[in-house]
Amino acid sequence: MESSTNEFLRGVLKTIVLKLLAERGPMYGYEITQSVKERTKGEIILTFGALYPVLHKLEQDGLLLTESVEVDGRLRKYYSVTSRGSEAAIQKASDFERFVEAVRALLQPMPNLALGQ
Amino acid sequence: MEKLSSQQIAQLRRHLIQHGSDDALLIELVDHLACEVEHYMWIGLPFETAIDKALLEANPEAVAYLKETYNQELALSNEPLEAASLDDIVFEFRNKSYGAYHMRQVYQSSLRNALLAGVGIFLMIIGLMAGMRQGAWTYFSPWGIMWLVGLSSLTFSVVSWYIQRMRHQYSMPEEAV
Repeated sequence: MESSTNEFLRGVLKTIVLKLLAERGPMYGYEITQSVKERTKGEIILTFGALYPVLHKLEQDGLLLTESVEVDGRLRKYYSVTSRGSEAAIQKASDFERFVEAVRALLQPMPNLALGQ
Repeated sequence: MEKLSSQQIAQLRRHLIQHGSDDALLIELVDHLACEVEHYMWIGLPFETAIDKALLEANPEAVAYLKETYNQELALSNEPLEAASLDDIVFEFRNKSYGAYHMRQVYQSSLRNALLAGVGIFLMIIGLMAGMRQGAWTYFSPWGIMWLVGLSSLTFSVVSWYIQRMRHQYSMPEEAV
């Protein structure tokens, strides 16, 4: 379960991060991991090794903005979506929805074929 | 909620640097681990146990994995890669403002300037010495022309070097911030 979750996660990580930030407003890295963990009841756990590269990539692509704030004597970087980022979040989420539907169709057993015999 | 002291944060930072964390990620990782430690302390663990638990997650393999995915995600994509020189590729993810990147970039013109200056000085000395041996100095003798050619070559290289230097200085401020 663990390893295949990670495998699937790689493809949807950008979608998850964009959607989450578009819904919830500015968040920092640890907050994102906690929020994902809570909402999926521990099914999906983001490691920092997977999360931060994606955040930086999305920032480089102009989909996210960052703001550094000093908290408790250390710097904390808050991420928020740009207008292009929120468009991308909607687009990617609906694309993924369609993809999940398609995969579900593939995973279901095929009753028609059995009847045809 | 428990807050970490600056010494405790410094301890996390040292650990990350020792395990080869990138500059670009260091600040965020420190914050991430600090949050984790604070979380463990909040559920009742003493600081030492909490930090051990957090550092266990930030083991060398995890940091190496982070570095690898980071370089994969942020590597030059096709379009800039076509425009990039060999220097850009070699110096990706490396410190460009340190100086080596600039030296490599201006290597061709530095070489040309040095060569022109060297040849120029040589021509001037030979021209001057041979001209003086003849007694009367005139610019219209072969030695005089030799001296003039040497002088112009030296002037050209000095001016070109100066312009290049100025251009570099005025492109620096963005890196100096």
